Amino acid sequence: MAGVVLDDLTKRYDGGALAVNKLNIDIKDGEFICFVGPSGCGKTTALRMIAGLETITSGEVRIGDRVVNNLPPRDRDIAMVFQSYALYPHMSVRDNMAFGLQLRKTPKADIDRAVEAAAKILDLERFLDRKPGQLSGGQRQRVALGRAIVREPSVFLMDEPLSNLDAKLRVQTRAEIARIHTRLEATMIYVTHDQVEAMTMGDRIAVINEGVLQQVGTPKELYEAPLNRFVAGFIGSPSMNFIDLKVSNEGGVVTLKGEGSELQPDPTLSALLRDSGLDIVTVGFRPEHLEVGALAGPGLNVTVTLDVIEFLGNDVLIHGSSGGQDVVAIVDVDNVLKVGDSVVLSAAPRRLHVFNPVSLARMIGTG
Amino acid sequence: MSVVQAASLPVAKPAPTRRTRFRPSRLVINVVLAAIAIFWLVPAIGIAIISLRPESAFEQSGWWTVFTAPAQLTFSNYKTLFSAGFQAGGVLDSLTTSLAITIPVTILVTVISSITAYSLVFGRWRGRTVVFLLIVAMLVLPLQMALIPVASLYNFIGDTTGVKIFGTVIGVIIFHVAFGLPFGIFLMRNFYTGIPHDLLEAGRIDGAGEWTLFRKVVMPLGLPAAASLAIFQFIWVWNDLLVALVFLANNTHQTLTLFLYGQTRFLSSNYWIISTGAMISIVVPLIVFFAFQRYFVRGVLAGAVK
Amino acid sequence: MSVADPTADALPVEPKQDVVPTIGAPVGGGGWKSHLGSLLFLLPGALWLLIIVVYPFIATIVRSLFDGSGTRFIALGNYKAIFSTTDIIVSLKNNVVWVVVFPFLVTFFGLVFAVLTERIRWGTAFKTIVFMPLVFSATAAGLTWASIFFNDPHTGVVNAAVQGVANGVNPPGLYPVDTSAGESVGALAATGVESGPGGTLQSKSTVTAGGTIELGLTGISPAVLQTNHATTAQVPSSSSGAITGLVWRDFSPSHPTARGQVFPDEDGIAGMHVALLSADGSVGATTTTASDGSFSFAGVGSSIYRIQITANNFQAGFNGIFFLGTQSLTPTGSLNPTLQAVLSLPIVDIAMIIAYLWIWAGFAMVVIGAGLAALNREVLEAAQIDGASEWQTLRRVTVPMLRPVLVVVFVTMLINVLKIFDIILNMATPSSQSGASTIALDIYNNFASNNGQGLAAALAVILFILVVPAMLMNLKRIRG
Repeated sequence: MAGVVLDDLTKRYDGGALAVNKLNIDIKDGEFICFVGPSGCGKTTALRMIAGLETITSGEVRIGDRVVNNLPPRDRDIAMVFQSYALYPHMSVRDNMAFGLQLRKTPKADIDRAVEAAAKILDLERFLDRKPGQLSGGQRQRVALGRAIVREPSVFLMDEPLSNLDAKLRVQTRAEIARIHTRLEATMIYVTHDQVEAMTMGDRIAVINEGVLQQVGTPKELYEAPLNRFVAGFIGSPSMNFIDLKVSNEGGVVTLKGEGSELQPDPTLSALLRDSGLDIVTVGFRPEHLEVGALAGPGLNVTVTLDVIEFLGNDVLIHGSSGGQDVVAIVDVDNVLKVGDSVVLSAAPRRLHVFNPVSLARMIGTG
Repeated sequence: MSVVQAASLPVAKPAPTRRTRFRPSRLVINVVLAAIAIFWLVPAIGIAIISLRPESAFEQSGWWTVFTAPAQLTFSNYKTLFSAGFQAGGVLDSLTTSLAITIPVTILVTVISSITAYSLVFGRWRGRTVVFLLIVAMLVLPLQMALIPVASLYNFIGDTTGVKIFGTVIGVIIFHVAFGLPFGIFLMRNFYTGIPHDLLEAGRIDGAGEWTLFRKVVMPLGLPAAASLAIFQFIWVWNDLLVALVFLANNTHQTLTLFLYGQTRFLSSNYWIISTGAMISIVVPLIVFFAFQRYFVRGVLAGAVK
Repeated sequence: MSVADPTADALPVEPKQDVVPTIGAPVGGGGWKSHLGSLLFLLPGALWLLIIVVYPFIATIVRSLFDGSGTRFIALGNYKAIFSTTDIIVSLKNNVVWVVVFPFLVTFFGLVFAVLTERIRWGTAFKTIVFMPLVFSATAAGLTWASIFFNDPHTGVVNAAVQGVANGVNPPGLYPVDTSAGESVGALAATGVESGPGGTLQSKSTVTAGGTIELGLTGISPAVLQTNHATTAQVPSSSSGAITGLVWRDFSPSHPTARGQVFPDEDGIAGMHVALLSADGSVGATTTTASDGSFSFAGVGSSIYRIQITANNFQAGFNGIFFLGTQSLTPTGSLNPTLQAVLSLPIVDIAMIIAYLWIWAGFAMVVIGAGLAALNREVLEAAQIDGASEWQTLRRVTVPMLRPVLVVVFVTMLINVLKIFDIILNMATPSSQSGASTIALDIYNNFASNNGQGLAAALAVILFILVVPAMLMNLKRIRG
C-alpha cells in the first residue's frame, strides 16, 4: 500500500488546451479519495496520468516514494477499473483475473489461489468459467474489480465504474467497493461525475473544475464550508440556491436587499460587508435549510412565487421564483401550499454562505 | 484526401508512454512500410512505363532503365491504339461498349435493389425473412451456375421471337443485373434497417402511399448507401471478364476487358501495346476510385460477404 | 444508431436489428393499398432473380445429369468423368493450392498491414497505395504481373533482380556455354584440345619451357569474338624458359573444312583464361590471352605441363527463371501421371498468388483495419496495466478480439479464390494454361466447346457445393 502525491500535475494537449492545471493533491496511504467534477473537468485525465495512460506535461506523480512519471503502467504497481469494465471478451472470468499474474510469470498455484480468493470476496465463484458475454453488467463489474484485486496493487484507480449500472445495482456495488476498501485497507482513487457517489464513498473528495482543483476535504467540510461558489453549487442535491443582493449601508446599518428578498446580517457578516466595500454579493443557501415563514431577526427572508410543487413523502420540494431568480426549497409536508402561492421562506444566518461576486470565493459561511 | 478515413473509425492515439523505448521500433516500422509501399507501386509504375516506351526500347532493355534515359518516353503506343478511332474492335470502341454496359447495369442494380430492400424492410407482408435469407444465400452463388441455362434461354428467345439477346450487350446487361442484385439488396436492406420505422408510420398516418414514402423519406436517407453500391457495382462490372467472354465473345463490339484479353491471347509478345491497353482500361475505374473513395471503400467493406 | 452516422455501414456488419420480422402490420394507416405497394416494389427484383438466378440454378443441376448434347440422361456420369480426367484433376489440385495458400496469406498480410499502419503518420497514404490495385481488373493485373515475371532478365523486373544477384555471386565468363540448353564445353574442342575435368578444356599434348602450343576451338560466334575485341590470330614466337601459345578459332571462311592450321583469316580468341596443368592434375599459374589469342607463361621451370582452358571462361550467365511455367516446386518428376497431377505444385501458381495478393491485401487490410479501430480501447489499456508488452497485447488480446473480422475476411477470400478465373487467363502463358487451370476455367472451356455442356454443368455444381459451407456460415451469422 502506498500514498499518492500529485505535485503541480499538468496536462497540456497539442494546440494548447490545458486539461489539467497544476493539480496538487496529497493522498494518504489507505485513503479512499474521490475526484469529482463536471464532464470534461480533467478528473479522468488526471487519473489516467496517474495510471500512465497519458503523458504528463509537467509536474510529478509519486506513488509511495517513487516518482513514476516515466514508468509504464505495468511498473507502477497500480490496478484500474474502467467505466466499460474492459474485460477481455475472449477469455473466461478466471483467465481475465489471472491474466496480469500470468504475464508476470507467477507460479500457477499462486495464481489459482489469488483468483479463488478474489472470486470468493466478490461472489463470483459460480462464474469463473464463463465468458464476459454471458454475464450481466453488475457481474462484469465485479469481475473487473476482481481483476484489480488479484494483482494486490499499491493503488486502485477507478474511472466511473458505476456509470453503466442501473440505479439499484449502483447502490449495491457502491457498498461492495466500500467493503473491499475496508477489507484490503487499500489506497483508492475514484473518479465520478456524480457528487452523491462521491459524498457517500469518499474519505475525502477533490472537486475539480476546468482542470483546476477547487477544494479538497471531507464530505462534511465540502458541504458545510465550500471554499468557492463552484464547490458550493456542485456539492449537495438539489443544489444550493444563489441570489445576488445589493449591499446597502444606511447610517452604519448594513442590509442586503434584492427584489423580493432581504437579508439582515448578523454582526460578523455586517462587519465583513462593511470592510469589503462591495456593492453586490452573491448569497447561497441550501434548499433543505429553508423554512416557511419569515424570520424576525437576522437572517434571509425571501418571497417566492411557487410554480412547481413536488411531493417527496416526508418533505415537499418546491420551485419558485423571487425577483426573477429561481429558488428551490425542501420544506415540511405539513405546510399547505399550492401553485401560484406567494410564500416567504427564510434561512438562519448560520445557514447562509456569502460569496464575492467577482472572485467567487466564499467570504463567510458555516465553517 | 481521406481515403479510408470513413471506413477506419478515428484511430485512437497509440500508447503514449515509454517514449524512449518506442523510437527505434517506430523507425523500423516506417522503413518497412515504406519498402512495402514502394513494392506495391512497382507493378503499376512498370506497366505505365512500358506503355510509354516504343517497341524498340522494349526489346532492348527493361523499363527500369527509363530513369537514366527519360528521353525515350513517348505516346506513340497510345497514338497507335487511338488511331483506330471508334472502329469496332478498337480500344475506343471497347471503351464505349464497356460504358454502354456498366452504366445501365449500375443504374438498374441501384434502383431495383433500393425498392426491393424497401419492400423487405418496410413492407407489411409475411415471408420477408425467408426472402431475405434466400438473398443472403444467393450472395455467394457462383455465376457459373447460371451460364448454361441463361445462354440457352437467350438463344431460345432469339430463335422463337427473332429478338437477338445472346451475343449482344443487352444479354450481358441482363445477366450482370441479376448477379448484382443479391449484394445490392443486402447492402441497401442493411442500411434501411437503421431508418426508424416511426418516420414512415408518421407518413402513413398522414396518408402517404408507398411510392411517396420511398421517394420522399427512404431514398434520400439512403443516398450514401446507394452511392456506395453504385460505385462498387460500377467498378465490378467494368472489370468483369467472364460474363463478357461468355455472352459477347463473337460480337463486333467488345468490352475493354475482352479487348485486353484478346490482345494478350493473340499478340502475346507485343507488350508495349498490351500495356497501353491496360493503362487505358484502368483510367476510368481509377478516376471513379479517386473521386468517390469514401463510397467505394464503404461498398467494399459491406461487400466483405460477397 | 443514427442514419446519418457515416460509419454505420463501415463494418462488415450484420443488420443491427434482428431479422425476425414483425408479422402483422405495424400500427398506422395504409391497409391493402400499402400492402400492395410494397409488394409491387418487390416484383422487378424478384422476377429478375427468379428468371436469371433461381431457374438457371435448378436447370444447371438438372443439366449436369445429362450428357454433352443434353439428350441422354446419364445420372452421375459427368461427375465420374470429372474425377477420372487428369486435366480436371489438375484443375482441382490448383484450386486446392489456391484455397490452402491464398486466404491465409491475404488475411495474414491484411492483419500485419492494419496493425502497422496504426503506428505511422502517413497511414492513409499507405492504405491508398495498397488498396488501389483493387481497382484494376484481374485481367489488367494479370498482364501487369506477367510483365513483371518475364523470362528474359532484360525485360522482366524479377528476373533482372535475380540476375543481378546471381551474376554477382557467379560471374559469367566471356564465352558462356549454356548447359541447360544442351550446349557442352567439350563441343568447343577442335584442334589439339580435349575435354578436361570440371568443365575445362585442356591441351592434348604436353609442352615444356621454350615450347609453343596451339589450341584450336570452334563453335564460338564471330559476334562474341568481336565483343571481346579479338584480332587476327598470331602464333607467338617461342621464348626460352617460357611456354607460349595460341588459343584461336579454328575456322577459316576461305578454308571452311580445313582444321589444325592457323590461317591468316582466322581470329584469335581474346580474354581466355588459361592455366598450367601439371602431370599430377594440379593447376599452377594462370594468365589471359591477348586480343590475338596469344599467351605466355614465363619462368616455368623444367616440368612438363598441359595447358588448361579454365571452366570460368564458359560460365553461363543467369538465364532467367520461367516463373510463369508449370515447373513443379515439389519433386514429382518420377511419379505416375495421376499422382503427378495431384501432387505437383506449378511455379506459375505461386506467381499468380503473389499477383492476386497484390490486388486483395488492401481489401483485407481495410476490413481488418476497420475492425481494429472499433475495438474497445479500454480493453487494450487494461492489458497495458495488467503488464502486457506491445507484442503480448497484440498476440493475446488484440488478435483474439479480432477473430470475427479475421474469419469474415478469410471466408470472403476463400469464396473469391474458388472462382479464380481472369488472372489465370491473362497471366499464365499459353503453354501453362492447362497446367494452371482451375475449375472456373474448366467450366468456361467446356461450356465453349461443342459437347462439353453437361460436364460444364457438373463442374458448376461442384463449385457450388464447395461454396455451400460459406453460404451456411453467412446464414448462421445473419440469423444469430
